[in-house]
Amino acid sequence: MSDILTPTEEALAEAPPPTRGGGALRYLLTKAGGGLVSLVLVIVLGFLLFRVLPGDPVLTMTRGRPASKEQIAELEAQLGLDKPLIAQFFDYLWRLLQGDLGESYVFRVPVTQKIMERLGPTLLLVGTATLIAVALGLWLGTRSAWRRDSRFDKVSTSVALALWSTPTFFLGLLLMAATSGWFPTAGMVNSDTPPDFFSQAVDVAHHMVLPTITLVAVVYAQYQLVMRSSLLEEMGADYLTTARAKGLRDAMVRRRHAVPNALLPTVTLVFLHMGFVVAGAITTETVFSWPGLGLLTYDALEKRDLPLLTGTFIVLAGAVIVMNVLADMLYRVLDPRVRAS
Amino acid sequence: MALLELRDLTVRYGGRARAVEAVRGVSLTLDAGETLGLAGESGCGKSTLAMSVLRLLPSSATIDGQILLDGEDVTTMKWGRLRAVRWTTAAIVFQGAMHALNPVRRVRDQIAEPIVLHADTPPSAAAVRKRVDALLAQVELPAAKGEAYPHELSGGQKQRVMIAMALACDPRLVIADEPTTALDVIVQAQVLSLLSRLVAEQDIGLVMISHDLAVLASTCRRLAVMYEGRLVEEGDAKQVIADPRHEHTRSLAAAFPTVGDPVFRYAPATSNELGLPDPPSAVPDDEPLLRAEDVRVTFTGRGRREVTHAVAGVDLDVRRGEIVALVGQSGSGKTTLARTILGLQQATGGRVLFEGEPVPASAKGLRAYRRQVQLVLQDPTSALNPRHSVYESVAEGLRIHKVGGDERAHVAAALEAAELRPAEEFMPLLPQQLSGGQRQRVVIAGALALEPRVLVADEPVASLDASVRGEILALLLRLRAKLGLAALVITHDLGLAWNIADRVAVMYQGELVEVGPVDEVLSDPRHDYTKSLLAALPTTGEQ
Repeated sequence: MSDILTPTEEALAEAPPPTRGGGALRYLLTKAGGGLVSLVLVIVLGFLLFRVLPGDPVLTMTRGRPASKEQIAELEAQLGLDKPLIAQFFDYLWRLLQGDLGESYVFRVPVTQKIMERLGPTLLLVGTATLIAVALGLWLGTRSAWRRDSRFDKVSTSVALALWSTPTFFLGLLLMAATSGWFPTAGMVNSDTPPDFFSQAVDVAHHMVLPTITLVAVVYAQYQLVMRSSLLEEMGADYLTTARAKGLRDAMVRRRHAVPNALLPTVTLVFLHMGFVVAGAITTETVFSWPGLGLLTYDALEKRDLPLLTGTFIVLAGAVIVMNVLADMLYRVLDPRVRAS
Repeated sequence: MALLELRDLTVRYGGRARAVEAVRGVSLTLDAGETLGLAGESGCGKSTLAMSVLRLLPSSATIDGQILLDGEDVTTMKWGRLRAVRWTTAAIVFQGAMHALNPVRRVRDQIAEPIVLHADTPPSAAAVRKRVDALLAQVELPAAKGEAYPHELSGGQKQRVMIAMALACDPRLVIADEPTTALDVIVQAQVLSLLSRLVAEQDIGLVMISHDLAVLASTCRRLAVMYEGRLVEEGDAKQVIADPRHEHTRSLAAAFPTVGDPVFRYAPATSNELGLPDPPSAVPDDEPLLRAEDVRVTFTGRGRREVTHAVAGVDLDVRRGEIVALVGQSGSGKTTLARTILGLQQATGGRVLFEGEPVPASAKGLRAYRRQVQLVLQDPTSALNPRHSVYESVAEGLRIHKVGGDERAHVAAALEAAELRPAEEFMPLLPQQLSGGQRQRVVIAGALALEPRVLVADEPVASLDASVRGEILALLLRLRAKLGLAALVITHDLGLAWNIADRVAVMYQGELVEVGPVDEVLSDPRHDYTKSLLAALPTTGEQ
């Protein structure tokens, strides 16, 4: 790029040698500040979004039971739904500041408690699946780019695309049918498992197999494709020729020079998607009745449990934002060029 | 035994059926400690030749003939032997050090890599460190620079790192592929003299590749000229330049003017039938069209009291129909000054006037101003969107500025003005289908479409081939003669100023140290800095 648009060369020649780490705090604060603004927007949106949804929560709650007008009015007053929207909003804000997301209409327990209770299983499932998917995707992406248009490249890329385009629930059902009886298809633990840690762990792992495979199969393709295209872009780079000219073996050229550079754009995506994976687990958790946040969201949506919905929405969106900020931080560590600017 | 011997070397790209021959039957020998310059335009096969020596060509290339490196044929070596030979017997200083260095690794590690790789027993970290420090010292860089990442170094420093890296394993042959192309004159002179000194001291054979005969003549004893894959001329460097026998050698020699030689004044090398306009009779002495008054730009270091005066009080006029060359090396502030004139950089002091009116600061006013003052960038390949057709690229400015009327007619007129004829045929083409010179013409057409009064051109020919260079400069002269277009050309190339400019402004450390008519300033420089710029020009040894 020309100096005239980005005056880097001139600034370099004129400026004293850059000192590293000086702008780190500033960078961190800027990024964290940006994340905070997004979070505030999420909080506002979280309130509004579910209140414009069609369906009356009180009607849903009283469905199938005879309820008098007085009873309904009393329920509305109890839930604060009789107040004007703006008053409800400030109520919500005030309680949120105190860390209170309200009480679930259905479960009759604080939303925070319910979310905390479900967070563990989700993190376990999503964490495991993401780790496997990232490792698998990056490895396959690297291999297929390095031997572009080879049979390995063609087959693995088509398989990844096919899996990516398969609906999650369908894939889940297919897996259940294919492995009928080998793995449990619902829940996280059997109620009759001995309470000692080892037996519990084995049982959870056993329950995790199918949902993990489903989640991995659905998401690894994007890591593979991004890694593949970003490595392909680096393949023609001059510094790889330099590395070859130095006498490095092909594998070393790839590992030491090509992959670290190709990883840079991939890192952002991986982190960005980690946030989404938490949300994307909704289908998987529902199909396999995994007692996590995804299933909780599904239930809340079905029952019009407004506080619970808002709560899960904020947590899931918050996860995306936090991961995004983390990605920016990590990028800065990995790419010295970002540190300078 | 010769250090390097090429015997009837032919390199083809692509399959057998539709193979393109990049190198055709070249035979060459280079003895130990000898220096050979390889000249030619891009596409003549000189880089392919260089890469074939270490068999670094892409897999689509097939090599015929023999490449004897120290008596051993590279083309038949096993991979293991080839890897052992790479960098230890022959090393390469790559073109464009910006891209040839890995951007995410410290330069110290990159220099150390081949040392560790080729050592018989793994050397200790301290020994490697000492060796890298010594190499950095050889290329006159402080050891601390080893901790830098490539983007933290200037172009000259990066090229020095490349040289240090090439010398890491004490090779007997160094191939330097356009080692100074992106550098300005002073840095170029420094790098060339450094390379010559190291090569002579360590008795290394050197093959230097360039399109600039003067650069080769100042470093190499022998000179070989390539054209369309063939070696067309070879001999003693001074002799080849003094008495070129092949016409291609002659045109290469003519492309780079000798500053001070009246033959080249207002006469860039062109073979266009439109010819060159007559030199302007006298510099018009009316009101300046564009005027910088005491412009100052100060950069403040982040959170510190460091202050850099990039532009420290500059007065500069561009009159109607006048071509002014702003020369200086990287870091002189010339780019910052140009940015300020274009309104891309806020001035900390002074002001810029266009037709006597201060350049507006509002977005709307700036847009109107930029329609009058158009920018032509250095590298047309990156300036053009690779997915936009020629038509789209030229029409974009018209759309941004909401120019009424028949868009197609405007685009056609602009292409005609930039001498892309017939315009209709160029419109649907994509940049990749054009040559470098044609791309730069498209960029110029994009600027001309808005019928500007002034062109600000940033190194308009630096990334172009020697033969195209003259054509683009001649185009600028014709545009001035035909449309009365004024131009401010930012360059480090004094030859360019001698070729086309009326006046020259020499910038040094943020100030204009000398401004005046080209003939006066370049023939009889007053300021020491101008003198050193002129002295740094590589000479063909005639003077």
